[in-house]
Amino acid sequence: MITWITLALAAGTMLGMALIMSFVLGWANNKFRVEVDPRVEAVINALPGANCGGCGFVGCSEYAVAVVADNVPINKCLVGGESCAIELSRIMGVEIGESIPFRPVVHCGAHFEDRLERTPYYGEKRCSSANLVAGVQGCTYGCLGFGDCTRACDYDAIHIVDGLATVDYKKCIGCGACAKVCPRNIITITPFKAERIMAVTCSNKDKGKDVMAVCKVGCIGCQACAKISNVIHMENNLSTIDYDQYSSECLPDLLKACEKCPRKRLVFIGKPSEKDAEAAAFMEAPDIVEPDFKTTVDDTEWRG
Amino acid sequence: MNYLIDITLIAFGAAIINNFVLYYFVGTCPFVGVSRKVEMAVGMGLAVTFVMTIAAFLSWTITTLVLIPGAPLSSFIGSFFLPAATAQQIDLTILSYIVYIFVIASSVQFVEMYVRKFFPSLYRSFGVFLPLITTNCAILFACLTIMSNIAGVENPSDAWDLGRSLVFAFFGGVGFTIAIFIMAGIREELELCDIPKPLEGAAITLIVGGILALAFMGFTGVGTGLKDALTFSRQETVMNHPSTPDSSIIAANVEKAVMRFHKKG
Repeated sequence: MITWITLALAAGTMLGMALIMSFVLGWANNKFRVEVDPRVEAVINALPGANCGGCGFVGCSEYAVAVVADNVPINKCLVGGESCAIELSRIMGVEIGESIPFRPVVHCGAHFEDRLERTPYYGEKRCSSANLVAGVQGCTYGCLGFGDCTRACDYDAIHIVDGLATVDYKKCIGCGACAKVCPRNIITITPFKAERIMAVTCSNKDKGKDVMAVCKVGCIGCQACAKISNVIHMENNLSTIDYDQYSSECLPDLLKACEKCPRKRLVFIGKPSEKDAEAAAFMEAPDIVEPDFKTTVDDTEWRG
Repeated sequence: MNYLIDITLIAFGAAIINNFVLYYFVGTCPFVGVSRKVEMAVGMGLAVTFVMTIAAFLSWTITTLVLIPGAPLSSFIGSFFLPAATAQQIDLTILSYIVYIFVIASSVQFVEMYVRKFFPSLYRSFGVFLPLITTNCAILFACLTIMSNIAGVENPSDAWDLGRSLVFAFFGGVGFTIAIFIMAGIREELELCDIPKPLEGAAITLIVGGILALAFMGFTGVGTGLKDALTFSRQETVMNHPSTPDSSIIAANVEKAVMRFHKKG
């Protein structure tokens, strides 16, 4: 008898608990309901979900809430680009403003052989550590070449080529992780108004004589370019391009300035356009070497 | 006074001496999984403490009211069908596991809704970890320990009351927070270390956890010492224990020692 009673009580306990708990949870669900704007959900789905922070918000969901609640511009997402902005404009019912892609520019052009007064560095192979030590290289502004930016990049779009950080603009999506991590702040996120833009690849703010002492290619502040082009001006002995004024109309001037520059610090950077590719087609250039993974197992027979 | 000492001992035991993670090795999964950053570890620890206290309250109530032999509710219902003495013997403690899992899952769900409504920023920082607490065995362990201290005692008057259970659960959560906080601090340093390739990640974390547990083994015996100290001081104040030296004798000894020191100097 007691067995049956125990069994019945056990079943009753479980049933009773299930009833009570479901009632309490159901009540709580009604009481504590959080109204979520359906548009937020739609915007989150439309965003790429990279959570890179390139828009200036902590993550994609944060940006989605800001877009819906605070009328933040919908073209902030650098990863999604234009297609994402169109999708957001459809959800939010607003017009897209002009959306310019932002990409990093490395303001240093010195490869290993161009940098002077370099000393052997045996510390941790990171820019953030090497930057704390004086005298790793003569130039205290330029790229250290230990590749903190390479490690920060989730898209395999920046590499150290011969000691200099070089952006692969085909892969870059402009999230700005490299610019944040660079201890010398030589990477800036710049509006690319064209596929390729002119940039000053030097950050040295010292006088020309001091620059010459530490670098073979650094900007010496001769002002030759600033005299020719009106979008270039001098800031602390460093020629700087004003990208707000930059447009295709100033290109002829810039090209002239580019030729005048004694250190060849004004260079074009960015994705090569199709026209450039055609123009360079006849030139002798090494073929692009694609990685070719072959098995390492050596199965050749030995004939001795 | 006796009750206060008991509670102090339970609290110390749960938080430090018999730390849930480092002594009993329960709740190791969040201990390894969520200890990558200090802020996240603290958040997880607080959430676990919170849920553990609520689950302890609910499970204590259900255990004493329904599950144990002679519980008011089950024996009341049983007395309709059985003689009163037999009805007192109805033992539903076999249900403990399923009931506690039920209680934990529901309270986590409830807490999640509550936090989402009233503390949105906390909800965002907890993220996925709040529902993950459902499967945290440290909480089930706390519930089961409380049950064994209610149903498993020989003398019914020794059974834990609600206060002891809540203190045990709360300080168990505090102990979990301490352990995961220490671990997160170590792991943040580990990020910068040159760890051999095969040991990277969870492997080195488990090794560090083991060494940490060894360090916490040093607290073994503190419990009895603490108990002695607490009960001793109580006796001393109450009936002036004869073996304690008189304060004037101590003062004289100290004076002598000081004099000797000055002579040497």
